[in-house]
Amino acid sequence: MFSPTRCLRRPLSLGLSPSAARIPPVPDVEEWRKLFPWALRRRDRALISRPETARTLARAFLQNKSLGSGHDRIVIEAFPGPGMLSRAMLELPSSTLRKLIILEEDEAFLKQLKPLEEADPRVTVVPMSGHDWDTYAHLEEQGLMKDVVYAPWEENAFPNLHFVAHLTHNVKGEQLLAQLFRSIPERSWLFRYGRVPMSILMSHHVWSRLSAPAGSKVRCKLGVIGEATADTKEVVDPEYLSPYDDHFYPPSPTGRGSSSSRKVGQPMHAITSIPYAEQVIQSGMIDEWDYCLRRLFVLKSTKLADALNSLAPGAKTLIDSLAHSNVPREQRVNVNKKVRELNIADWALILRAFNKWPFKPQDLMITDAFASEFD
Amino acid sequence: MIPLTRRNAARAVSYSRQSLPRPARLYSTPTKKLLAQESVSSSGTSQEFPPYMAQPSASGSRPLAVAEDMHDFLHRRSPYTILPTPLPDDVATPTTDYFFADSPTQDAVAIMDACLHGLQDVPRAKEMFERVRVARQGDPILDSRVYNLMLEAYLEMATNREEINRANWLEDAWSLYYDMEHGTDSVDPTANTYAIMLQAWLRFNPESKNPVIIGGAQVLDPVALLRNIIGRQIAPSLVVADRAFTTDEEANAAIKALSRAAVEMGLSRVVTELGMAESLGRQAVDPLEDVPEVVPVVKAKTPEVEVIHQEDGTVSELRPQGPVPDGEVPFNLETLRRHLSQVVLARRVLSEEVALRQKLLEQSVYNVAVERMKHQADMLEKVGLPSKGLQSNNLRAWMWEWHQKLVNRIQAELENLVVEERVIAKMRQSSNRHRKTEDVALSPFLKLLSAEKLSLITIMEIMHLHNAGGVNDGMKTARALLSVGRAVEAEYKAEMCKKNKISMPVPTTAPARPGDKSIFTSTGYRDLYARRVAARKYMEDSEEWTSEWTQLVRVKVGSFLVDCLMDVATVQRSTQDPRTGEKITEEQPAFFHQYEYLRGHKLGVIKFNPAVAERMSRDSVVETLHPRHLPMLVKPKPWLSYNNGGYLFNRSWAMRFKESREQEVYLRHASDAGRLELVFAGLDVLGSTPWQINRRVFDVVLQVWNSGERFNKIPPAVPDEPEPERPPNMEFDNKAKTIYIERQKAWQQAKAANHSDRCSVNYKVEIARAFLGDTIYFPHNVDFRGRAYPIPPHLSHIGDDLSRGLLLFGEKKPLGVRGLRWLKIHLANLYGYDKASFDERVQFVHDHLEEIKDSAEHPLDGKRWWTKADDPWQCLATCMELKDALSLADPESYECSLPVHQDGTCNGLQHYAALGGDAVGAAQVNLAAADRPSDVYTYVANMVEKSIQDDLESGNKYAQVLAGKISRKVVKQTVMTTVYGVTFIGARDQIERQLKDRGDIPPEMCWLGASYLAKKVLASIGDLFQGAKDIQNWLNLCARLIAKAIPEERLVHSFTETAPARKNAKSKQPRWKKEQMTSVVWTTPLGLPIVQPYRAVKRKQVMTSMQTVFISDPNSPSIVNSQKQASAFPPNFIHSLDATHMMLTALECRAQGITFASVHDSYWTHPSDIDQMSAIIRDTFIALHSSNVLKSLFEEFKERYADYKVPLVAIRGQFAKSLGLSPEKLGMSTQDAQLLINSEVEEGEQSEQSEEEAAAADEEEDIEFGAEAEEEEKPKPKKRKTKGKVTLKAADVEKRLAGKFVNLVDLFPELPEKGKFDVNLIKESQYFFS
Repeated sequence: MFSPTRCLRRPLSLGLSPSAARIPPVPDVEEWRKLFPWALRRRDRALISRPETARTLARAFLQNKSLGSGHDRIVIEAFPGPGMLSRAMLELPSSTLRKLIILEEDEAFLKQLKPLEEADPRVTVVPMSGHDWDTYAHLEEQGLMKDVVYAPWEENAFPNLHFVAHLTHNVKGEQLLAQLFRSIPERSWLFRYGRVPMSILMSHHVWSRLSAPAGSKVRCKLGVIGEATADTKEVVDPEYLSPYDDHFYPPSPTGRGSSSSRKVGQPMHAITSIPYAEQVIQSGMIDEWDYCLRRLFVLKSTKLADALNSLAPGAKTLIDSLAHSNVPREQRVNVNKKVRELNIADWALILRAFNKWPFKPQDLMITDAFASEFD
Repeated sequence: MIPLTRRNAARAVSYSRQSLPRPARLYSTPTKKLLAQESVSSSGTSQEFPPYMAQPSASGSRPLAVAEDMHDFLHRRSPYTILPTPLPDDVATPTTDYFFADSPTQDAVAIMDACLHGLQDVPRAKEMFERVRVARQGDPILDSRVYNLMLEAYLEMATNREEINRANWLEDAWSLYYDMEHGTDSVDPTANTYAIMLQAWLRFNPESKNPVIIGGAQVLDPVALLRNIIGRQIAPSLVVADRAFTTDEEANAAIKALSRAAVEMGLSRVVTELGMAESLGRQAVDPLEDVPEVVPVVKAKTPEVEVIHQEDGTVSELRPQGPVPDGEVPFNLETLRRHLSQVVLARRVLSEEVALRQKLLEQSVYNVAVERMKHQADMLEKVGLPSKGLQSNNLRAWMWEWHQKLVNRIQAELENLVVEERVIAKMRQSSNRHRKTEDVALSPFLKLLSAEKLSLITIMEIMHLHNAGGVNDGMKTARALLSVGRAVEAEYKAEMCKKNKISMPVPTTAPARPGDKSIFTSTGYRDLYARRVAARKYMEDSEEWTSEWTQLVRVKVGSFLVDCLMDVATVQRSTQDPRTGEKITEEQPAFFHQYEYLRGHKLGVIKFNPAVAERMSRDSVVETLHPRHLPMLVKPKPWLSYNNGGYLFNRSWAMRFKESREQEVYLRHASDAGRLELVFAGLDVLGSTPWQINRRVFDVVLQVWNSGERFNKIPPAVPDEPEPERPPNMEFDNKAKTIYIERQKAWQQAKAANHSDRCSVNYKVEIARAFLGDTIYFPHNVDFRGRAYPIPPHLSHIGDDLSRGLLLFGEKKPLGVRGLRWLKIHLANLYGYDKASFDERVQFVHDHLEEIKDSAEHPLDGKRWWTKADDPWQCLATCMELKDALSLADPESYECSLPVHQDGTCNGLQHYAALGGDAVGAAQVNLAAADRPSDVYTYVANMVEKSIQDDLESGNKYAQVLAGKISRKVVKQTVMTTVYGVTFIGARDQIERQLKDRGDIPPEMCWLGASYLAKKVLASIGDLFQGAKDIQNWLNLCARLIAKAIPEERLVHSFTETAPARKNAKSKQPRWKKEQMTSVVWTTPLGLPIVQPYRAVKRKQVMTSMQTVFISDPNSPSIVNSQKQASAFPPNFIHSLDATHMMLTALECRAQGITFASVHDSYWTHPSDIDQMSAIIRDTFIALHSSNVLKSLFEEFKERYADYKVPLVAIRGQFAKSLGLSPEKLGMSTQDAQLLINSEVEEGEQSEQSEEEAAAADEEEDIEFGAEAEEEEKPKPKKRKTKGKVTLKAADVEKRLAGKFVNLVDLFPELPEKGKFDVNLIKESQYFFS
């Protein structure tokens, strides 16, 4: 893990890029309230407000040792807000950051981002949202990705592409995160180019779900898929990022109704996820995983043996292929475990059994079970 | 024989004192032809009349006279049913307990009832009874029938069960009787009480075979009993005919004993009466008595009887007229009862033949079902498929298999349960811990019915719930458990109801004659009331009392049974292994649990195994139908009370309650007070309309159904829409994948919808098949706004086009000139050609005669012109009728049974326009006369289309997709529902559905496109209906105020008395918020009280053996949802008006002898009677609206809420402003008034909106960049800007205003001014209803 204390001891100027001096600064935080009035949509965006914090994070994200030496990366940054982190990244030398593609659609923020394009030729600002798949197709169409070097899915092989994002603090943000992880085994989205690292700033609520180990109370589908697909680590000690109000904007709400764990104001975590070279979830199997995880996690405190039936009628017979005495010991699953206690190996075995079962449901899409509200 | 033929019925039953005058037509046969001349004059029609009218109003003495009565009726000050507002759940006082029995009491009484059944556990029942009797003295839940039931049980224990304890049981009986007689419990003895006590004396008196001497209670001899009987004005003959007597001998002995007593007391009148009773019991039943106008040659003489009724309809005396003859036939109790029921009810008893099938249908559902399943299984065995129930892929065979296993399972489980409960009870006794509430023991309830019945009920209910509540191939668990529990309860009650062979009162079959208009006059109305009460008393006395169960009991019973079923029910399923290709068979559960998320809530569901689900759309499903889902074969039982009417043995309610005890209590009180006579009478009219299945249409439907092809709204057996293609690049392109998933989802949904449609059509076809050739009836009840619906859910005229196409009136009438013309107009309307003038519509039909003939003769193998109609099946039926008529030499003589419709054009707006006298609005919706019908929908659609054209220029992408596609249909529903207060979200969903239906808009565009369109539509409607809007606002404001009001007597409590300090009282809410229990209640012009049920949702978690379910307890009211109360009031009020208009029309149609049916604002009758009905529709509408409805509503509010206060804190901000308060009038300081208007509404207030709306609002945030939200978020400075001086924080304002109250009635805003439009003008409007 990157230790901020050690990092702070380093002379700041050392790694600075030549362009740093020309970059127009972000207006003072005091003025943010006026410049970026709280609209509902903006209230969900916890943004770094302290330049120092931004610098620490920029280095922690991009100068990650496990990615090998920092050879000219192309960074796609989503939801940058006014660009505190973008500026900090631009302070890094071209050898580390070759190109920065910024995705932002909020007009108020764009006003602060557009000048970066003029100040530094490495920058391209795309006024589109990181939430839309269209945006990424657009990058391709515009030829912005043509200098990305494809890297095969092997140990120690990485493309020169890096995804950086402030995750929005709403359901959409959580959905995006889940979809990004689900894209890994399918090698879709940016993962077409290889094992693209993702560096993401997220709230404690999301992080606790993503990192929850087997047996934890908050263990969930996201955690299982995350664990199965990528090596995810915190890159900065979360202590360094607290208290929230010293580092982030908007300030945490006070008074009534501020208790929701999903709203801004939570402790923050900075992580980097690097997809595994070898995937437990086989290509084309993500729908099956998704189905089983969703169905079973509804009953996460129930024993697997009892929960199985809610997969499909008769799914209880799967117990045989999971725990029968004629199954080799290392391929057995303890069906008395609660659903949330199952580890990745267990899940892989469950999925194998499920896929072999001739009566598995044909329609794995979990659409709304309710045809209509009229009754 | 009793000469009770139609001719002399009136003479036979003559009435004295407060007698019932000449039998009113709704319950009995008419006596003599009144005003016969008028009937002649009103039947003549001629072609010279204006298009809809029966005759020029000058010669129409009938309509005028009736209209006058009706006008008077509607102008009277209707009596209100006013009850106390329910109290918050943390307070209890005797008065509200009186109205709202709490659940523990209800449970205790239900257990008591169950323990008494079959004398399962009388000591326990006695214990419960004594406890409730002490704790809840005077509670209406303990009426005389409960006491009688106890008496009966004691007597039975003494007689047959515990001879050792005989003296004790008798002592209990006599002392309980003593308490009743002496008014200790304010429960009066009834005929049934005296019958039981008389029996007790007869069996154990000192001279009897088994003399018992008891010391602890006073025993009364027949003389003393008779004295009490006379004292209570109960007819002794009713005592001896009471259901308590089960043998002829005892009844005869009772007659003798009472006669002796009467002789002793010198009561000659009683002696004769009893003599008459005895002789009545000796009369043979005349087999021909139900054949009208046939008088048997040889008739035994029966005394003619005079009945004396008390004020409330109870019979106090029966007097023979003429000599009492002695018969030769041995005394027969049943015969006595039949005769008495005839005279007491002054009507004829249902003839056995007519009722036979209905009785069979209702009595033996479960037996018949089991026979059929067994038969099927036997058949299969015979043809060499030995009892392979499970393998045999057949629903019926499966059900039979499950049934056999389930019966054993239930028996075994029940035995376990009994032991378990005994152990628990013992443990509790020994631990000696006093518990506040009794744990509900389940076994007494489960023992009420046989295991066979329980098993069948469970299987049938679960099968029938397939696809219920919008769950594809499944149902919500909570609903399943409740339904099964309720079905067990209903079956038990039906068994009790059938036990005593009650003779049903039926409404008369004789058509009423014109001129018979009494019901709107006060005497006529009182007759109706007295008659109904008499019939009701009679029915209640002859039924055994049963208790209502609580939700908890229902759920527990349901869960016990469903759990057993899910455990034993399995099916064999086979498939091919996709890899090896070998056939694999597995035994799988037929049903399984799952949890689904619905708007973020985890919801338990029970799902069908796909193998079973698949069968549901193909196999015969009639087995799963209970008679309460089917039409009736006889006229429904007239509504005798709010919970007695409709089906003969299956309890139905006159109103569908929305889990609201308050609604039920109001209805009960209004019913008891005799304020609902016209509502009941109206429902009886609707229920007594005879129908038949249209055989010719049925044959076509069947052919299509069996072909399995998609055809005319009949979905195909195999879904025929191709699955969306997987785009080749979706592996790596997330965008392509998203679109694919979107389409795939839509396809899946369509497939599921197809399946569920197929299932629903299956029901309709099966039911139609079952009733081919029968005359059928649909019993009706009303929803809480008073709108009438047929009770059977599957096939009825309120259903879709297919259901309607399958139905014809049961009677035929010759067309006549006008009828032929209306038949043609009807055909044009059904085809969709309904915007033109009547003449043009007739011309349209003339232009298409060839196609019509072809459609009728070759529906499937011809040109299929009819399939392109808007309502194809009804169109086909009409083509067939018209073709048949035209092929006669004289088409006008054709006897037609097809209903022809007259629909209100945007009926909600019509009522608004009439209420507000809004001339502009009136013209839009055809209240004013015009040459052509005007069509609001087209008008709005054009406005929207125009606005889209404008957007097209600016390159809006939605405009590009939607331009040119805005048909009338797209906007119709939204325009229609605007008057009912549709929200943006609602409008968007409606439009989305329409866009999807069009099929020419990419599915992923529908949602956003709909949102774009909804804004346009709502904006376009905006100014078009100003008058309606003003009224809507007024209604809304009144409702908001009412929902904030608190009854005065609660005020003191809410501020002085600190509520019982609970340790964990976490909310610091001010007390007044907890006191907001007032719902909006009003009375329709017909006297029906309407109670809005919207309250905070409070669900109780109930752990059952299978899943945890959440159920609401209607017995414990929670605070009102003021937002919902306010927003729903305008539409509910309008609905209560259209319901009233319909009922008035129904009653008037019956009075004029024409057949009537309705689907809310669509009124149906025979083509030949359309002119007459059209006149009635207009008369009733005018009568309704000239009674100044809004003013009456205002008056009612002022009276109903006279003692209510509104806390000032509750009406701050915008709300206060919109009320336009005047401080002087309210007696508050100007400063306070300022404060009110300027203070911001606190957060808590805003978050009051219901979950649904909150969820909807969330959704909206995503699409709409909330301008409002931004404003509201702008922090403090804004407040400072507005007023500069007073800047108080919400808390300070609250402090200042706390404790300040104003009278609710002073706050009501003035009524909006009424416009100039005169409703009488609609008489001239042809297209008002058309």
